[in-house]
Amino acid sequence: MKVHIRPWALVIAIGLIASIALSGFAYAALGDRLLGRGSKGSEVIELQKKLIQLGYTLGKADGKFGSKTEAAVRRFQKEHGLRVDGLAGTQTIKELKRLTGQSTNATGKAVGYKNTDTNLLARTVNAEARGEPYIGQVAVAAVILNRIADPAFPKTIADIVYQPRAFSSVDDGQINLPPSASAIRAAQEAINGSDPSGGALFFFAPAKTKNKFIWSRPQIKQIGNHIFTK
Amino acid sequence: MHRKVWIGALTLAFVISLGWGVSEYRQAEKYRLADENNNRRALTDFASHLDQLETDLAKGDVASNPAQKILYLSQVSSKSDSALKDFAQIPAEQAGLSYVGQFLTQSGDFAKTLAQRIAGGGTMTTEEEKTLRDMHERLMPVNQKVQDLITRIDTENLVWTDPAPSIKQRLGFGTQVAEASADGSETLSKSVRSGLDQLDASLQKLPPFSYTGEYATRVVEKPLGLPAGEVTRDQALAKVRDFLSKIGYANTTPELDGETQGELGGYKWKINEAYMEVSRQGGVITLFRDQRSIEPRTISIEEAAKKANAALQSLGWQLVITSSEDFGSYVQFDAVVEENGVRIYPDKVRLMIALDNGKLVGLDTVPYYAFHHSRTFPKKLTMDQVLRKLRPNFQVVESRLAVIVKSGNQEIYCYEFRGRYQGEEYLLYLNAATGVEENIRRIIKTPRGEYLK
Repeated sequence: MKVHIRPWALVIAIGLIASIALSGFAYAALGDRLLGRGSKGSEVIELQKKLIQLGYTLGKADGKFGSKTEAAVRRFQKEHGLRVDGLAGTQTIKELKRLTGQSTNATGKAVGYKNTDTNLLARTVNAEARGEPYIGQVAVAAVILNRIADPAFPKTIADIVYQPRAFSSVDDGQINLPPSASAIRAAQEAINGSDPSGGALFFFAPAKTKNKFIWSRPQIKQIGNHIFTK
Repeated sequence: MHRKVWIGALTLAFVISLGWGVSEYRQAEKYRLADENNNRRALTDFASHLDQLETDLAKGDVASNPAQKILYLSQVSSKSDSALKDFAQIPAEQAGLSYVGQFLTQSGDFAKTLAQRIAGGGTMTTEEEKTLRDMHERLMPVNQKVQDLITRIDTENLVWTDPAPSIKQRLGFGTQVAEASADGSETLSKSVRSGLDQLDASLQKLPPFSYTGEYATRVVEKPLGLPAGEVTRDQALAKVRDFLSKIGYANTTPELDGETQGELGGYKWKINEAYMEVSRQGGVITLFRDQRSIEPRTISIEEAAKKANAALQSLGWQLVITSSEDFGSYVQFDAVVEENGVRIYPDKVRLMIALDNGKLVGLDTVPYYAFHHSRTFPKKLTMDQVLRKLRPNFQVVESRLAVIVKSGNQEIYCYEFRGRYQGEEYLLYLNAATGVEENIRRIIKTPRGEYLK
């Protein structure tokens, strides 16, 4: 028995296969399909970049939805009141896109992210107060902002953070690590005026510090492993 | 034969490591040079800005017509900003409070306040003229000494920071420069930093300036709104229990977590994953934060706002919610006092509502207790009179009376106008008594809510 393959059927078949393949690779946009463990492609890179931008570290954005990406998605979902399933579906992607969008003015014109200062503040919090309770992280961010408000210190976040010997995390390079989600949130909260430190200008870890000056400052309170002082 | 191979291999290894060492050394040299250049840039720029500041202060004093005076005073403020920026980059052994920094901030701040006043048609008092002259007097020796330091880098090979103490000094013979500068004795500094530390010590001894401006006084010395009387630990515990039952936390056992000091000092409490502070004076809850894990959201932001209002009511607060910020699993609300239609922005309470069950997970009443007091309002202009003072084409969307904080702790009674101009949205604040524009805030819409800049 002989099978007759009609030429036009072949063309259609090849066309179909090609279009399915292309939609999967080149033309896919984030949000077109459900992404989960094992997904690959440019939209996964986009998803990973957005997660990293919001502080959900997962290593390198390599376009492969592996266990680290899944864990990052789960943490994002948990902290944003979404159903925690580790899958990047419509809701999760919508929320990710919203939070990584630019700020706008009244007429909807984009004016940039407006978060340069928040980002550096978050890096400092991440480097100086990783593993501290969240409220202690907000307090560390508040200390830097309290310095801006104090005449004896420089007047921008960068000038304060990079002041020689002001923060050990600048000297050892930890300041350059991407900030965690809780550090970013703590920075945003402090910029919005929260100050659980009680107006502190310095903080230190009592177990690790012998510096006479810092011990001589009037102490306000201890949160986690940090003592906050005037 | 065998031996030759060994010698050859070792020679090769030696040559490679030598080459590697040389290239590393060169690399390190490059970094050292980049560092040195950066330090010199900072110090030279600092000296140059100080010098210009000194001249501008003198000119600002002598200038007689307002336009000239405003020009020089504005330059004083910008030059002192720049000088402070440079100063903060000069190498140091440790970071601490700096009187040089404070001096620069305050002279810039004072000049800015004066410039603004003169630009608005005001004048300087004799007292202020004297303060300005005092600042100039104080700056002159500072300026001289910094220039002297720069000269001594060349003539005496000054280093940036003091070397570690020598064995002789460690054994207690001879004083260290930093200690000498702290006790005020005029030993000659061996490093740029110790020279600056000596300057710092000499400025520290001078009396503070008295003037009104942003950095004159930073926080309220004493909280204005705390109820009278001190509470004991047990009384504080009762307050904690009462609070928890009002916000729907049944069967909890608060544990004392230590005490806090300062103006709003008191007792810290731990309740499972929640953290709380109760003030010693007045026994009020100043801070509450539940860091429990929050489940998927079941309520909208509008519903959360209702829950926030209900929580405020059950805790006995009479406040209006003015803004919200969406953090995903919870929403943060700011609520302020409204008295006879006047919004008192300084008297603020911040609260957080979890979006899974609508319960309170955060409360911060510090601003309220720091600033709340009974206020008397001056006679005000009518809304119509003030509306005429707004710039043409500003479309008013909302308006009301309000009290805002302007520079430092000064409060201003004003009309608040929310409106649009050229596609941007603003909040304009016009003094209720005089109609003078006091403050402008631009409204930016961020992904989490509106933000005032």
